[in-house]
Amino acid sequence: MNVQEEGRGSPPSDDPGDDHIPEASAERDGAEPGGAESGGAESGSVKPGGVEPVALRLHPLTFVVGAARELIALLAAGAAGLAVGGLSTAFYFTLVGLGIGFVFHLATWATFTYTVHEDRIALRRALIGRSVKTIPRDRIRGVDISATLAHRVLGLAIVHIDAGADGGEGELNAVSLQEAERLRKVLLARASTAAERAAPEPQRRVLGRMESRWYVYAPLSGAYLLTPFALAGSLLGTLYNLSDDFGLITRDRLENLGHEVVGLPTLVVIILAILFLIAMPVMSVIVFTLFNWDFTVYERDGSVVAERGLMTRRSVSLERRRIRGVELADNPFERLAGVVRLGALVTGLGDAAHRGRLLPAAPGTAVESLARRVLGPPPAPLIMHPRGARSRRITRAVAPPAGVGVLAVLAGQPWVAYGCAVVALLAVPLGIDRYRQLGHASDGERLTVRSGSLRRRQAVVEHGAVVGWRIRQTLFQRRLGLATLVVAVGAGDGGYPAVDMAEEDAPAFAAEITPAWLDPFLTR
Amino acid sequence: MPVTSVRRAHQPDGGGPRLRPPAHRVSPRAIAHWAIEYLLLWGLGLGLAWGVAAWIDDADWDGLPGWMIERVWWLPFLIGVAGVLMVTVAPVWRYRVHRWEVSSDVVYTRTGWFSREWLLVPVSRIQTVDTEQGWLERMLGLATIEVNTASHAGSSEVAGLPVAVATRLAEDLARRAHDLRDDAT
Repeated sequence: MNVQEEGRGSPPSDDPGDDHIPEASAERDGAEPGGAESGGAESGSVKPGGVEPVALRLHPLTFVVGAARELIALLAAGAAGLAVGGLSTAFYFTLVGLGIGFVFHLATWATFTYTVHEDRIALRRALIGRSVKTIPRDRIRGVDISATLAHRVLGLAIVHIDAGADGGEGELNAVSLQEAERLRKVLLARASTAAERAAPEPQRRVLGRMESRWYVYAPLSGAYLLTPFALAGSLLGTLYNLSDDFGLITRDRLENLGHEVVGLPTLVVIILAILFLIAMPVMSVIVFTLFNWDFTVYERDGSVVAERGLMTRRSVSLERRRIRGVELADNPFERLAGVVRLGALVTGLGDAAHRGRLLPAAPGTAVESLARRVLGPPPAPLIMHPRGARSRRITRAVAPPAGVGVLAVLAGQPWVAYGCAVVALLAVPLGIDRYRQLGHASDGERLTVRSGSLRRRQAVVEHGAVVGWRIRQTLFQRRLGLATLVVAVGAGDGGYPAVDMAEEDAPAFAAEITPAWLDPFLTR
Repeated sequence: MPVTSVRRAHQPDGGGPRLRPPAHRVSPRAIAHWAIEYLLLWGLGLGLAWGVAAWIDDADWDGLPGWMIERVWWLPFLIGVAGVLMVTVAPVWRYRVHRWEVSSDVVYTRTGWFSREWLLVPVSRIQTVDTEQGWLERMLGLATIEVNTASHAGSSEVAGLPVAVATRLAEDLARRAHDLRDDAT
């Protein structure tokens, strides 16, 4: 396997067939019959010249999942209602609400069908008025399969069809797991690769996988550190709402609670605070693990699939030819620990920040080897930007706090001004680091730009994915002989800036990557 | 392909190739267009500032430090001066910066005034070409062309073209984009 990967110099988008076919046909002789059977039975609906496409319903158990939430609500409400004082009117209302919800779920299920045609998939809704949503199959850019705990207990899965900005998206909530797998296979296989589709169950080739000790990196990212607050907040909110509904909350009780909290001895408060501080990283690791448990990236059928999650198992398929680049991101803490996050830049992927994720936190070497397998080696080393960029980075870091400080002085708020002065001083090393992180590079096939410090991002983009160049120069930049080159890409954020390059390097860099576009406008 | 992945120092001026400006200017009527736009915008700003100043002066409100209340009429004055500068200077400046050119396969524009932007969009990556005319542009016989690619950073806008030029250009670009379209997205 390693040999294959080393040998791949060209962008991976053009070789889906080569790796698969020999092994796939070998598999056909042997241990195949069970797996493809369910697919074989139904895929008659999509074969050219085959049977008329069949309108399919969602899985009959779907309404159970839908109703489960209401059921839980009912049980909670019922228990609470009984505890408060027998069956109250509110309780009956809840019961009726549940009944209506139940009927609604059943009717929704009965009136929703989907049909996989040769060139499109149609989602037909006929509950209140009719609506048909048609997604052309060549527009489909990704098929995600996810399942909540309830879905997994019942063997169901949600299929999310993503069709880019103009094609819209569709959701099938829920179908059986086999049907989900079949749909993914059918929908992601393009018409041109009929041979590939006919091949039996393609093998999955694991590209990367979370190792158990990497989950400890969670607190570094900062994003998960606040989860205890969020959890406590939502728990308190729910409790408050629930007890408010049942008249448990009165003014007296609230005031008593307030007095009790204020009356707590200082020691207890301090201990509570310390406990909370300890809980923050621990909780962040737990939540991170819940979301990213057994994070696995594998390749199958010309797609890169990322699977993750403990309770809700989520899998995102990214069509290989639509992966036009990767993004490596980290913050100063992660940099100290050598930890990087990896994401894919995929054309027409909604919610790319979450769904394009390839590794949530991993050592730099692991991230780089995965990046190499998904896209190819990132160009290195980076070319540093000229000295003028440094003063500009520092000025821009210091200016906002300094400005606020001046305003504070004018407004006669000395303490705010002191605070601003401290922040402004701290901003100097930040500016210097921002300068040090600036860089760009290009090899024969990919280019890369890097910027940022508190959130450093390095984008690696295939040359072929560039859709335009934008060079920006303010009056200040002009004085320093600098310019910012924005690489316009039809994936990810849409544009990745190489901030404060040398003025004459910007067109030169662009000309090196797409000489034909620049040459007519260059003068020596 | 030359190997560039080597650290190199910042070259002194005159080292590398430079971008020449695009060939064509926009219509001179664009100056009038921008001037009227700025006039309306800054006029509105001036009116608002005037209103705020009068209100603070009247209200006898002590939420602001004394020196600010004494000089509250500086606000509309400053905005007025800035507005006059914007209306007189910016449109001409912009006219001098704004240029466009369509070569055999690239749309090349330069826009801005205080800060400048050079934008190169290859025809083969264009997804849609729109022409637009606001009410002011219609009065002045101008039009704006919008060239959209799959990336907002790679989408350009040429404002202040004569209507006939814009229409012809848009049709031409749309046709060529259709012929040349490749699947980079």
